[in-house]
Amino acid sequence: MPGNVMNIASSNIVWIVAFFVMGVVIFQAIMFMNIAKKAAPDAGLTPTEVSRAIRTGFISSLGPSFGIAIVIVSLIALLGPPITMMRIGIIGSAATETAAAHIGAKAFGVELGGAGFNEKAFATVVWTMCLGGMGWLLVTFLFTKSLGKAEKAIRRKNPKAVASISLAAMLGAFGYLASEQMLKGLGFFFAGIASLGIMIVCMSIAEKKNISWLREWSLGISMVCGMIVGTMVIALT
Amino acid sequence: MSMSQEVVRTANKAKSEPASSSMTRFHEQSHFWGRLTILLVMIASVGLPMYLSFVLGAHPGWGAIFAGLLGYAAFIGVLWIVEPVTYFPILGIGGTYIAFLSGNIANLCVPCSSAAQKAVGAELGTQKAEIAGVLGIALASLTNTIVIILTVLGGTFIVNLIPESIQASFVFVLPAIFGAVLGQFAFSKPKYGVMAVLLGIGVFFSPIPSLIKIASCVAISIAVIYNVEKAKDKKAHG
Repeated sequence: MPGNVMNIASSNIVWIVAFFVMGVVIFQAIMFMNIAKKAAPDAGLTPTEVSRAIRTGFISSLGPSFGIAIVIVSLIALLGPPITMMRIGIIGSAATETAAAHIGAKAFGVELGGAGFNEKAFATVVWTMCLGGMGWLLVTFLFTKSLGKAEKAIRRKNPKAVASISLAAMLGAFGYLASEQMLKGLGFFFAGIASLGIMIVCMSIAEKKNISWLREWSLGISMVCGMIVGTMVIALT
Repeated sequence: MSMSQEVVRTANKAKSEPASSSMTRFHEQSHFWGRLTILLVMIASVGLPMYLSFVLGAHPGWGAIFAGLLGYAAFIGVLWIVEPVTYFPILGIGGTYIAFLSGNIANLCVPCSSAAQKAVGAELGTQKAEIAGVLGIALASLTNTIVIILTVLGGTFIVNLIPESIQASFVFVLPAIFGAVLGQFAFSKPKYGVMAVLLGIGVFFSPIPSLIKIASCVAISIAVIYNVEKAKDKKAHG
């Protein structure tokens, strides 16, 4: 990115907006944690279970969060630090935002970071990423209430249906996501299989001996084992 | 007014689950804080490019902006609607607001929600699962946000703390996460676990447009499992 564009991309106001957005995300997470804690007793969660759920969320998020962090580094060079932080901190993923940046630059008629990538081209990129990413926010803002009402209506008519629908949605989504990843190559296939197997082992042991810490760590352990197996398969072939 | 009616109705109806006035309250608060935070971020998302255009004078012209947005929408716009609808049955009200603000739904939010639900032994679709899931996602969002801030501020330094050989293994983080989530269900519901994988492979190789493949897979498995469960119920009662 040319120096004058980088100056704008890392100017104070841009940093302030980026930190404001990150602050809102943090505020939201803390707020939801609080209101969920308040509703917990009536939902059948004991205080021990509340802290178990919180701990599990934390342990399980470490692996994926560091995975995301590694991808971020490549985006900083393209977009400057504050825009990268803001875009990856909210809805966008690294892949989506990179694509959006390229589309924005093309719309201005230049290549991202190439010759002629001036302040105006940068502004086009920011417009594209921000408005494009807002699509999800707008739909969530407008329609989550209706979706919640629909769910309540189903629950009233047929309480069991909600349970089977959410189970089915989960299985359908992850059946597809896992298949797509595992068909990407040998290492990916064995990483997925190993992780699946280790999870079953963890759950069986935790169930049989009633070890609650193993349940909390099971996602983290399976993930690390899967990554190790995938790397080993690649090294061996 | 309708609210208090609802409370009475759910209280009458709820036999297996505890009276849910506090759940109603949780949903109301979720809508309020969820919408408020999303609104604030939407304002920032318009404000930042406006600032670049009209305060710094780098306005590229509405033609370029419109072309960029059109290119983006053509590339991925259908997901604006498909993703919230697809993931809602998994995330619930609170989870939807958190997941769609902080992003990384499939690779972070849903696995962490599911792990938290399993850790407290909650069946999907219950209030217990909903609250445990929100706690899991909230922590995932918080951890992820802090790691992102540290990475951006520390730049390559933070990432270089992780040895290169370990960094290379992170290409397998996605199959490992998704495999583990399936493992949770293959353990408690082996038949459905196998069905999910077969269905996933089927949809992967089918000519369905790739943007709506996940949604299609979700729709098909809802249709299948809903009917299988209904048939099971009939058998049990008849």
